[in-house]
Amino acid sequence: MSRTKIGFNTKRQTLWGWILISPLCLGLTLWVAFPMGLSLYTSMTTWDMLSKAEFVGFQNYIKIFTEDELFLKSIKNTLYFTFLSVPLQMVVALCGALLLNSQVKGKGVFRTIFYLPSLIPLVVSSVMWLWLFNHQYGLINYFLNILGADRIQWIDSKEMVIPSLTIMNVWNIGNVIIIFLAGLQGIPNDLLEAVDIDGGRYYHKFRYVILPLLSPIILYNMIVNMIKCLQLFVEPYIMTNGGPVNSSLSFVLHIYNNAFKYGKMGLANAMAWILFILTMLISLIIFKTSNQWTFYEGDK
Amino acid sequence: MKSKVFVFISILIVIGTGFCFANGQKAVSDDKVTLKYIYWGSPAEDAAVKQALSDFEIAYPTIKVEPMYLPGDLDGSTYNAKMKALAASNTLPDVGYFRPEEFGNYAEKGYFLKLDDLMTRDGMQESYLPQTWLKIKGNTYGAYSAAECQVMWYNKKVLQEAGIPLPPTDYTEGWSWEEFVSILKKITTDSKGKHPGDIGFNEKDIVRYGVSYDLWSSMYYPSVWSNGGDIIDVDGKTVLVDKPETIEAFQKLADLMNVHHVMPHMTGGTNISPLTMLANDQLGFYVTGQWTLLDLGTMKDLDYGVAALPIMKKPAQIYVSGVNVVFNSSKHPEEAWTLQKWMMDPSKTLDLYTSGLWMPTKQSYYTDANDLAKWLDNDVHPEGFKEAVVDSMAVAVNEPIKIRNINQIWGDYLNSAVESIWIGDKTAEEALTEVAVKIRNSDLLQGSY
Amino acid sequence: MRKRRTGTTVCIYTFLVLGAISCLIPLFWLVRSSFMSTEDMFKLPLILFPKKLKVQNYIDVFTMVPFAQFYANTIFVVVVNIIGALISNLMIAYGLTRIEFKGRKLMFSLSIGTLMLPAYVQLIPLFLEWNWFGKINTFLPLTVPAFFGNAFFIFMLCQFLRTIPRDFDEAAFMDGASYPLIIAKIIFPLAKPAMAVVAIFQFMFTWNDFMGPLLFLNDMEKYTLAIGIRTFISTFYTPWGVLMAAATLTILPLIVLFFIAQRYFISGLTLGGIKG
Repeated sequence: MSRTKIGFNTKRQTLWGWILISPLCLGLTLWVAFPMGLSLYTSMTTWDMLSKAEFVGFQNYIKIFTEDELFLKSIKNTLYFTFLSVPLQMVVALCGALLLNSQVKGKGVFRTIFYLPSLIPLVVSSVMWLWLFNHQYGLINYFLNILGADRIQWIDSKEMVIPSLTIMNVWNIGNVIIIFLAGLQGIPNDLLEAVDIDGGRYYHKFRYVILPLLSPIILYNMIVNMIKCLQLFVEPYIMTNGGPVNSSLSFVLHIYNNAFKYGKMGLANAMAWILFILTMLISLIIFKTSNQWTFYEGDK
Repeated sequence: MKSKVFVFISILIVIGTGFCFANGQKAVSDDKVTLKYIYWGSPAEDAAVKQALSDFEIAYPTIKVEPMYLPGDLDGSTYNAKMKALAASNTLPDVGYFRPEEFGNYAEKGYFLKLDDLMTRDGMQESYLPQTWLKIKGNTYGAYSAAECQVMWYNKKVLQEAGIPLPPTDYTEGWSWEEFVSILKKITTDSKGKHPGDIGFNEKDIVRYGVSYDLWSSMYYPSVWSNGGDIIDVDGKTVLVDKPETIEAFQKLADLMNVHHVMPHMTGGTNISPLTMLANDQLGFYVTGQWTLLDLGTMKDLDYGVAALPIMKKPAQIYVSGVNVVFNSSKHPEEAWTLQKWMMDPSKTLDLYTSGLWMPTKQSYYTDANDLAKWLDNDVHPEGFKEAVVDSMAVAVNEPIKIRNINQIWGDYLNSAVESIWIGDKTAEEALTEVAVKIRNSDLLQGSY
Repeated sequence: MRKRRTGTTVCIYTFLVLGAISCLIPLFWLVRSSFMSTEDMFKLPLILFPKKLKVQNYIDVFTMVPFAQFYANTIFVVVVNIIGALISNLMIAYGLTRIEFKGRKLMFSLSIGTLMLPAYVQLIPLFLEWNWFGKINTFLPLTVPAFFGNAFFIFMLCQFLRTIPRDFDEAAFMDGASYPLIIAKIIFPLAKPAMAVVAIFQFMFTWNDFMGPLLFLNDMEKYTLAIGIRTFISTFYTPWGVLMAAATLTILPLIVLFFIAQRYFISGLTLGGIKG
């Protein structure tokens, strides 16, 4: 059945459509377009929030690419973190969600426990992990010591700091699990039972029913988490301040430093736009390739 | 189930709304002058400042003070962010603390009240330490809210157990660096009771360290100066960080960690506090800011003392603090100035000094025996504090906050260079020579304010 | 359903328990530390269980800062945000997925685009805007935007609505129902699990937000918990025990609330409806 046949004429439909999304339009204007416009303008000025802005065109952008060596470093760190975290998160969260979706006793308790880490404000969990990672007084090294292994320099070493932040990030995947779980609940039982009847095993269920039906949600989780990872800030800000030797300096931390520590609002806004474009590019690639593996029941 | 959740949420809404209105209706209806006082600090400092402000309201019944407290943070960037937002929106408070690294920038752009005439009128100039007043191009725009500097605390019990005589307290008689290092080696022990240099000493299993230095920019200066080096000349144009004396000073500090193993590695943003290690007898000496005395004083079980800073070549000291300013946008500059004077007068805010948080900026509190006793005669300030710390202010040099972009020079270049020395990636010579070139090639050397 | 083999069951439980332990250990660490003096936290060998519980930490939380007030403020801001998010996002997502009209694809892309904006730099222009409205130091900048939709939620709800077969609303159209009625009577019940997720996430966003309250609020009596907790973290001496106690107090009610709510939110998913 084609959608336009529903008995509403197109004019009325359009009107209703715009009414329903009117908060979005207003919100985009007020909380996005205006700040973005201001930000774009600022990115082409020398504004420091204290004196009058002077228009300099694309000079800030040129400066970032030619003079700022920390820019490349921070981009590298951020991409490293993102490409380490996102796949790991997806796999772990999907496994977690499948486990939590199975018929076991105490499901509620397990679900609550798996979600607990996400309830902790990031400021607090950063401080907590600072402790867990501590070289001498941290719990992780304590266990390693008991097991007879050498203590590891977690966030204190250049090599381990990003993997450490990744571990912390993977621990905090309650949100991702919840979305997967809600998606799994939406999978019709009869489809799964059909696989049973055909004599299929769990792998077949997963491969031919769960994965395709879950694909829109995987896409969502992937993109949202990638964006979050690209905007990594609180953890390095509180735990390492970008160190040691800038090896955990994330791009947003670099923007933040320029904006609020050095008052270079123009430069910081230009960086923000670069991040914006970078994020768009990566998302676009994921979106484009996603057509091949996502499946929308509603759009059939 | 559904209804329970619903009831719960409704209750939350009612409570929440109630609070919102309660807050909204708190309006001042009388015709008092209202001043906004902005400041940062720990909860303890917040309490002390609030007390001082309410005492002020009692003394000046026509003035009402609204405290604007911002939580302490790692590097002042949240405070600076807030300040910039306030400045950009013309909603700056009347008077209060100001981050030193931003002082010159705002002063130059005319955000602060020029204080010279008021100071002359009230005879403030002479009665305070000369370093206190902060001048830009000959005009005074602010004052350090306190005199703060570097000190070296020690744990008496740890020193006794290592068989070390009590250290000198006269700041001109501090240990030489070699003496200091040999003493630190006696203190440092691994879990088998061995010291660095002993056969079988395990540097990965140290249970007691000799010393911990606070590793952030202001705390490097005294060591560097003591060795005759510097970071950047006060002209703001000459990079001195690759001077042999500077390199040597940094190398000596790094050797404490990487060669002598007498100091724990302390990298990262929020450090787990050496104060606690001191209290736990896990640390002999702690070189830090004098304001840590506020917390040290609350550790009842710890028998602590203060020692003269070790001397590399000559005694050195830094004068560092937050700044107190009156904002030019204040509608009540006279009252705001009165409040600033109040906050600078140790007799009005004595708690801040006796608790160890601050040292006075007023001259008589350094020279007059009566005034000295007022803030030093208590359980918090250890014996020898006058000789080791108070007297050392005679050689104290202001933190170089007037160099343009100094904050970014540290943030973008020096901090990571220095960090690579601490973790043993590079020698001081490699790291500092390299970074000096980078700074010279950057556009940050813009002179000074 | 076929009966599961015991081996599989054991396997599932093992992994569940392992996962649960790794989720719980940091929290155990948090609670354990909240009952310890800072000195004891630095003793070697590590003290796993404090012998004497230091309850004073919890008392200090309330005496050192107006913690109860922070709590009330946070709850108020959170509740308003949740209400706003629930209403606006479902409306928008429905409009974007279920009604064909010109410009909806553009609006969807625009909305997704906002996800990619680095929030921290947007804050300053937003601050200037709210200042222009004269609403700094009120809760409005922290609550009103929630009523205008959030790209995270719009994206998520759109994805969810796409998994709901169209036959349901189409049947309702045939009966002459209007869009608001369809949303309220048909879509909302079907989307309940997703709405629950929206509520929880909005809760978390608001609960965690640090820079927003910091920039928009000036008076301590309006501060939220995220700032409140931050007051304990100091560069030089952090009262770790008290900080951990404050953190525990912050999350405890959340844990209880979530535990109660999750049964309703997740287990009670409307299996029948979607399976149609």
